[in-house]
Amino acid sequence: MSKPHSPDSEIKTESAPDATRVPLAIEDYLSAGIMALLALITFANVLVRYFSNQSFAWTEEISVFLMIVLALVAGSGAFARARHIRIEYFLQRCTISKQKQLNELTTLLGVLMFAILVVLSARLVWDDIQFQETSPGIGVPQWWYSIWLPAIATAITLRLFGLWLRSRRQK
Amino acid sequence: MIGFVLFGIFVILMLIGTPIGVAMGLAAVISIALANLDTMWFGLLAVPQNFYASLGKYPLLALPMFILVGTIFDRSGVASRLVNLAIAVLGRGPGVLPVVAIIVAMLLGGISGSGPATAAAVGGVMIVAMSRAGYPKPFSASVIGASAAIDILIPPSIALIIYSILVPGASVPAMFAAGMLPGILFGLALMVPAFFLSRRHGMGEAEAHLSKPPFWASLREASWGLTAPVLILGGMRAGLFTPTEAAVVAVFYGLFVGMVIYRTIRIKDLFSILRDSAELSAIVLIIVALAGVFAYSLSTLSLIDPITKAIVGSGLGEYGVLVLILILLVGVGMVLDGVSIFLIFVPLLIPVAMFYEWDLVWFGVILTMMVAIGQFTPPIAVNLMVACRIANVRIEDTTRWVLWMLLAACFVLLILVVFPEIATWLPSVLGY
Repeated sequence: MSKPHSPDSEIKTESAPDATRVPLAIEDYLSAGIMALLALITFANVLVRYFSNQSFAWTEEISVFLMIVLALVAGSGAFARARHIRIEYFLQRCTISKQKQLNELTTLLGVLMFAILVVLSARLVWDDIQFQETSPGIGVPQWWYSIWLPAIATAITLRLFGLWLRSRRQK
Repeated sequence: MIGFVLFGIFVILMLIGTPIGVAMGLAAVISIALANLDTMWFGLLAVPQNFYASLGKYPLLALPMFILVGTIFDRSGVASRLVNLAIAVLGRGPGVLPVVAIIVAMLLGGISGSGPATAAAVGGVMIVAMSRAGYPKPFSASVIGASAAIDILIPPSIALIIYSILVPGASVPAMFAAGMLPGILFGLALMVPAFFLSRRHGMGEAEAHLSKPPFWASLREASWGLTAPVLILGGMRAGLFTPTEAAVVAVFYGLFVGMVIYRTIRIKDLFSILRDSAELSAIVLIIVALAGVFAYSLSTLSLIDPITKAIVGSGLGEYGVLVLILILLVGVGMVLDGVSIFLIFVPLLIPVAMFYEWDLVWFGVILTMMVAIGQFTPPIAVNLMVACRIANVRIEDTTRWVLWMLLAACFVLLILVVFPEIATWLPSVLGY
C-alpha cells in the first residue's frame, strides 16, 4: 500500500548489484504467469457463478495456494534485487563503507531467516507425507501444496546468498 | 524478559536496515526458541505453520487483485483524462489547478489502493501542467504528496484490507464503507489551504490565460475511468461481488479501457504490468506472512496482556491513551510504511481499543488516517518523496507548504475523533 513502485524501482535498479548468474527472468516470468492465472481463475469464478448459479468454490483452495506461491516466487526476485521494504533513513546517514557492511550483514540475516524456514517447513512436509494428510477442499495429498514452501524458500535463501556474494566481490 | 528480547532485536534489526519482514521473523524465531528451550524443536514448528496460515486466507486475495487494478489504471492514461474533465468543470483561474490535482487524486483513490502509485500517476500529469501555469514546483509536490495520501482512506484501499484481515469483525466491505466519508472530508480539507495559499502568494497567475478543454468531449473520454469506482463500489454494494471479485472485474474492465478504448496499453506491456504488480504484492505478502509469525510469538509468550494492562493502567484516561497512540503512530508513520505499521501495532492496540469499547471500524479508520498523515510528513514521507522526485525538488523545500496540508489533515482527524459517526454511519446504513 505504501511503496512507490514504478518510480522507486527505477532508482533502486541503479544501486542494485550486478546481474545475477541465474537469470531473474525465471522469477519474472513465473510471477507474471501466476498473477495472470490468479486473475483468470477468479474471473472465471465470477462468470460461472453469475451465469450458472453453480458454485465454483473449490477453486478457492487453488487460488489461495497460487497466492502463496506468488508471494514466494515474486518475493524471491525482489530479494535478489534488494527491493523489500526496509528503513533506509539511518542507513543513508552512514559512511559508504559502513553502508556496505550493514547491507551485507542484513543480507546474511535474510539468509539465516529463510534457511531456518527451509528446515522447519521441510519437517512439516515430512509430517504431511507420513500421516497422509489430505487438503480440506479438494482432498488431494496436502504435501502437493506444502512442499513448495521449503522448495521456494531454498530459492530465496540462495538468491540472498548470491546477493551477499556479489556485494563481497564489489570493491 | 523475553518480551524485551523480542522487541529489542526487532527494533535493532529494523534500524540497521534489515527488510521489515526478516526483522519480524528473526525476532520471533529467537524469542519462541528462548521460551521453549526444553520442547522438541524449541517449539519452532509453529514458524512455518504461521507463515503459511497468515497467507492462506481467501479474503487476502483481494490484495494482489487490487494492486493489479491499480497498476493497470496507472498506465492506462486515465489520470490525464480526469484532469481534463476537472478543468473543464471548474474552469481556469489562480488556485484551480491544485484543487483539480486533489480531485483527481481522490477519483484515482477510488480505483487504486496505493498512495505512492497515485502520487506517481497524478504527479506525472499535474506537475508539468502546474509549473506551466506558474505554480512553484515545491508547492505542486506538496499538494500532490498530500492528496495522494487520501488514497488509502478512499476504497479500495490496501491498508483497509490488511486491517480487516487482522481484525475479525471489521469486514472488508465495512472498512471500505467506513473510509469513504473521511476520505472525502480529507480531500475537501486539503483544498482549503491549496486554494488560499495559491491566492495569497499569487501563484498560478498564468492559469487564467490557458485554454479550457471542451466539456462534453472531456466527459466522454473520462467517463471510462469514472465508471471504474462505480463498478467496484457499486458491485460490492449491490452484493454482486465480493471485494476480490470486484477487483478482478475491475482488472478486466481496466484492460478493456486501456487496450481497446484509450489504446495506451499494448500486448507487450501486459508482461511488465503483471510482473510489477506481482512484485509489489509479494513485497506486501512476505511481510504479512512473517508478521504472522511475529504476532504468534506475541500471543503465545503472553505479551499482549501485560502491555494492554500497562497502557490501560497508566492513569492517562481514555482520551489520554488515544492521544498517546496518535502521537506514537505519527512518529512511526514517518519511518515505516502503512502495511508494516498495521501488522506490528494492530495486534497490540486492538485489546486496548476493546477495553475502552471503541468501535473497531472507527478505530481502523483513525489508524489509517494516521498512516495517511505519516505518508506526507517530512523528513520521511513516501508519497511526498515520489512527488518530489517527479518535480525534481528536495523534500526540505516543501516544508513551508506541506505544514498547512498537515494542519488541515490534523483538523480532519480531530473531527473524526469527536464525531465517530462520520466513519461508522455509512457502514451501518449499508448494513455491514
